[in-house]
Amino acid sequence: MTEPYECDEVADLLAEVATGAATGPDRDRVARHLADCERCRRELDELSWVADEVLLAAPEHEPPARFESMVLERIAAEDRSPGRRPRRARLLLAAAAAVLIAAVSAGSVWWGTASDRELAAGYRDALDVADGRYFAAAPLNDDDDVQVGHVFLYDGSPSWLFVVLDPAPEPGTYDIVVTVNGAERSAGRCVVTGTGCAAGDTLAGKIADVDSVRLLGPDGTEVRADLSRPNR
Amino acid sequence: MAVSDEALLAGVAAGDTDATAAFVRRYQRRVYGLALSVVGDPGLAEDVAQDAFVRAWRHAGSYDPRRGKASTWLLTITRNAAIDVLRMRRDLPTEPALLVDQLVAGGDQADRVADSDRVRAALAELSRDHAVAVVLSAYFGLTAREISDRMAIPLGTAKSRIRTGLHRLRRMLEVTND
Ligand SMILES: [Zn+2]
Repeated sequence: MTEPYECDEVADLLAEVATGAATGPDRDRVARHLADCERCRRELDELSWVADEVLLAAPEHEPPARFESMVLERIAAEDRSPGRRPRRARLLLAAAAAVLIAAVSAGSVWWGTASDRELAAGYRDALDVADGRYFAAAPLNDDDDVQVGHVFLYDGSPSWLFVVLDPAPEPGTYDIVVTVNGAERSAGRCVVTGTGCAAGDTLAGKIADVDSVRLLGPDGTEVRADLSRPNR
Repeated sequence: MAVSDEALLAGVAAGDTDATAAFVRRYQRRVYGLALSVVGDPGLAEDVAQDAFVRAWRHAGSYDPRRGKASTWLLTITRNAAIDVLRMRRDLPTEPALLVDQLVAGGDQADRVADSDRVRAALAELSRDHAVAVVLSAYFGLTAREISDRMAIPLGTAKSRIRTGLHRLRRMLEVTND
């Protein structure tokens, strides 16, 4: 391991990385330094927070009347485009509902039997109750960094984890492995039926302590969601 | 009970169309306002703001509430979309000093948001030189080198103005954040 840059050398660059203005090479330089420097990582976190807050000062302005419908049309068009599967949205909604409803009703999962409409309603109620404060979502990516699913995490009693894999890179059974504070533990399995699968489990500990969630499939297939992300 | 920004974003991530519509409605004035501040032209600003919402919808699943508020997450996406447009132009459409005045004044909105006022007050406390450097970097995405060229100041001065400006803002905002 080499440590090519000292704290002094990246100090000015941290501010530019925080505002998003830094050039690619500068960003690389900072990233290499941050890998070994906890102090500068914290510094960047704080400067990034400030730089983001500064954007809140922008004056509000009423957009043209058609704005909202134009945005929703563009989103709907993209959702229908060939690259996307309508099933994904349904599965994700079901997963979110299951996690939240399970958390609210102390552990009973009933997403498999409820209709989508009920799920949608239950989902919104659950969000109201939970106020979304302890809810986290992260993409599951394959080896090529292509998103193939989602992880949902919920802090509660008990805490919950829910994974949705769609499309699964390979058919078969995936073992779910959660790393919490560096320690691995098994969190059940996800058995692919059709193009994907969904599975949930309770989680010991807080979602803030979850480093990663991995799904280990047939023939060494692996997809993962990184939740620690020390570098921006 | 009102749904929190973060919960709404979770709904967007889950593909809930009602949540997506509510999200757009809640934020369109802020997103369009920021886009307009950066690109300066209503037509361009509308494109940028639409783009920002589509990007936010696409990446809602990667939003992590531990990393920050949903509002600032969306505004950084908007800023990035605006800078992408700006990079294709040769000069800044808005005079930075004027933008600083506007930011500090905060327009004449009836429904002012408390967190905006807090940030405006902090910006107003900064020296003009520091505020302009921070705004050039955070709103227009200019590097210290570009700022030094534009303001005809040494590179080291540009760097230290961005850095010092952010540090002073941090101290002020941390106090009011508690
Ligand atoms: Zn360091």
